[in-house]
Amino acid sequence: MFKNLNIWYISSLLVSIGVLIPIITVFFSFFESTSDYYEILKNTFLLEYIFNSGVLLISVLILTFLIGTISAYLVSFYKFPFSDFFKWGLILSFAVPPYIYAYSLTAFFENYGTAFTILTNLFGEGEYNKDIPKFDGLLGAILSLSFSLFAYVYILSRASFLYQSQNLIELGRSLGFSKFKSLYTLILPAARPAIVAGLSLVAMETLAEFGAVDFFSINTLTTGIYNSWIAFDDLAFSNRLSFFLLLFIFALFIIENLSRKRAKYHFNSKGGFKQKEKINLSGKKSFLAFMFCSIIFFLSFLFPLSQMLYWTIKFPENLFDIDIITLTLNTIYLVILSSFVLIIFSLVSNYGNRVSKNKILNILSTLSISGYAIPGVILAVAFITFVAWFDENIVKTLGFLSIKKVFIGSILGLVLVYFVRFYSLAFNGIKSGYEKINISVDESSYLLGYSKQKTFMNIHIPFLRNSLLFVVILISLEIIRELPITLILRPFNFETFATTAYISASEDLLEAAAVPSLFLILIATIFIMLTSKYILRENEK
Amino acid sequence: MKNNYLEIKNVDFIIGGKTKVKNVSFTIENEGETLCILGPSGIGKTTILRTIAGLEKVNKGSIKLNGKLLSSKEKNVEPEDRNISLAFQDNSLFPHYTVKKNISLGAERNKGKKKQKINFKEIIKLFNISKILNKYPHEISAGEAQRASLARSLLTQPDLLLLDEPLSNVDQSFKEEIQVRLKKILSKLKITTIIVTHDSYEAFYLGNKCAIILDGQLKQFDDPYNVYHFPNSVEVVNFLNRGILIPAKVTGENSLENKDLGIIKGNFIKHYPKGSNVQLLLQPEDLEHDDKSNLKLEVVDRKFRGTNFIYTLKTGSDLLIPVFVHSHHVHQHEVDEKFGIKRPINIDHIVCF
Repeated sequence: MFKNLNIWYISSLLVSIGVLIPIITVFFSFFESTSDYYEILKNTFLLEYIFNSGVLLISVLILTFLIGTISAYLVSFYKFPFSDFFKWGLILSFAVPPYIYAYSLTAFFENYGTAFTILTNLFGEGEYNKDIPKFDGLLGAILSLSFSLFAYVYILSRASFLYQSQNLIELGRSLGFSKFKSLYTLILPAARPAIVAGLSLVAMETLAEFGAVDFFSINTLTTGIYNSWIAFDDLAFSNRLSFFLLLFIFALFIIENLSRKRAKYHFNSKGGFKQKEKINLSGKKSFLAFMFCSIIFFLSFLFPLSQMLYWTIKFPENLFDIDIITLTLNTIYLVILSSFVLIIFSLVSNYGNRVSKNKILNILSTLSISGYAIPGVILAVAFITFVAWFDENIVKTLGFLSIKKVFIGSILGLVLVYFVRFYSLAFNGIKSGYEKINISVDESSYLLGYSKQKTFMNIHIPFLRNSLLFVVILISLEIIRELPITLILRPFNFETFATTAYISASEDLLEAAAVPSLFLILIATIFIMLTSKYILRENEK
Repeated sequence: MKNNYLEIKNVDFIIGGKTKVKNVSFTIENEGETLCILGPSGIGKTTILRTIAGLEKVNKGSIKLNGKLLSSKEKNVEPEDRNISLAFQDNSLFPHYTVKKNISLGAERNKGKKKQKINFKEIIKLFNISKILNKYPHEISAGEAQRASLARSLLTQPDLLLLDEPLSNVDQSFKEEIQVRLKKILSKLKITTIIVTHDSYEAFYLGNKCAIILDGQLKQFDDPYNVYHFPNSVEVVNFLNRGILIPAKVTGENSLENKDLGIIKGNFIKHYPKGSNVQLLLQPEDLEHDDKSNLKLEVVDRKFRGTNFIYTLKTGSDLLIPVFVHSHHVHQHEVDEKFGIKRPINIDHIVCF
């Protein structure tokens, strides 16, 4: 094994260790003693945490499945007014993180909120509060998560419908099936791996969600982890809860991985795929399809955007209360730094995998991309636990100065944990670019006298340019929206749009949360529009 | 003692940990010669090329080019340092460069080091690819990509050129023309070449020597004429599929007898004692058509091959024998009709097993 020790091994090994640290930390902490808080909680709230997490998970899965697959089915197979617009318009929901959706939902439906103002303007003064439904608590969290996350199911189902099921409609027709029968006997089962992959991502995000559930004061495993650390200073218990949550996540991760493998098969199938003319809908059917997609587009994107815009205009003083320039610069700083580190490491390990064709390296890489499945809260808390342990047991024993300040509450620590969390995005983004370069291209390059380095610089990098750009935008999008890691690990007085919105909202200053939320949505929207072609896989032949 | 230009000695050709061809030894004596490697799909022909190019390592034997050791268990010169060019069967053009840029990259390799024997313009004309120069690899056909790849390889003026099924994607109508041009240019530039192909006609035309790989072994290494007329084993006969083996009994120094065809005369290439039972190789051109002959066989199939017909005839013992007849032959025989074979049967050289 040592014979093969080279830069690719080392970098893959480092990243894998980075991912393994939180998992190992959580595992060992499970057996540590905790404060009395654990006993109290075990007898009172632990079951509630698990129950709430379960209810949230199942409800969000059902809703995202319905919204995601129906909208994907409509835009993939039918032509109706604005269907081409909805095709990419529906992915704009990614620009609205669940916590901002939660703020919008509350702002609109709360007593004397936006709904009340609209009704008063329309029908005059009145006691409307009691008639306006309240979408808070668990219901609010379910809706916020569903409208924010359904795009995962939408994107993957749509890709599967486009790449694999087009011929199935013709096959169904030749067998005399109705459209509906074709849908449930042929199209949906054939797209099942893609749908399961999308739902698994939704499930992982739901279990990891912190901002929205915290805002609605719902006790889930994630908020429990955060609160037991922040409120009760019980890191060991925080890790113990993480252990339960990781069990959930690992089960999902395995399901997702298994189904993704099959889904990939569909995406890459050569031949057999025939892009068909979409079926023109008319009359009532066309209207219904248009209405369905309009409502989803409105609820998932326009509604939170306009609510935040409305409040920004209504309370313009908030615009001057926050330092938008500093927030933007902070965000850019994090994005550039993280992207740089992520791209360099991902390129090196992808290239290493490609040239060494080594099984151990392959396993290490697979392990290193699992960081995305671990919730940000767990990563952050485990990172702190590990640094504290390392500082106490290794650094101090050796007589060095404490390293806590270097890693906790510092940009370095923040970027390190972002790195573990988003490594899979960068790695997979570059990998999919690499998969389009036939290995014989490398070999031709060697035979033309190019060294491995020259092949990498002159052949791979120019070819991967678009993939790298895509990865940078994707990382930027994630970092802009990211909340728990930034919240826990950011340096003192270092804020991003997400943390500013969260802090204002948690202080019940929703109006103040509107400005950073609006900026966050707008910046994220621009990034999504820049990458929509990639996300919708339309560049692939 | 004169050194061979390329010397492969006792090499096991391995890919992915699996030995594809065992204990191979052969040489190309002089610079500028062409060797064609023939064999069925998946037998390891490409592995041989990849190993010579340095893309796969050897753990037994040695490969020497122009006296320089390239591969052995202890030594492996990196592919980029060998000055060997390999044109892959599949499109291996750089996807982000135009065809023009791809081909001109070939010329860069030996810029300033070697005197250019052929320039860009000539090579473009040679392979008729001027119309696709500004296109990207995904915008051209597989055949065009193959020709562009071939052009790039030739422009590198390698010490050894390896071509993996170089014309497999080229249209049939254009194939022969390209074969002629390729042969001319290889001879003009004196580029030593190894061509892997499954098309025996292509191999016989392009190669000074042919190597037949069967069952993980080098079965025969010889001139194309000898490979065709003097196959050294039943396996090679079956692989080339240009004749059949029929049972016969040696009746004298220059004769043998088959139950259905009677006495066959000719020169044995190997001695067999009188009375031995052998398998005689009968090739389509060995028998002559003669309607007046009393040796009549039943026609079971007739293939029209443009310049000739190949009749398949059934003997009394149910043997199926191919017979070659020029297609300008005045009359044709239909299936089920009788077909006369000229007697006495004389075969120039008798190959038996």
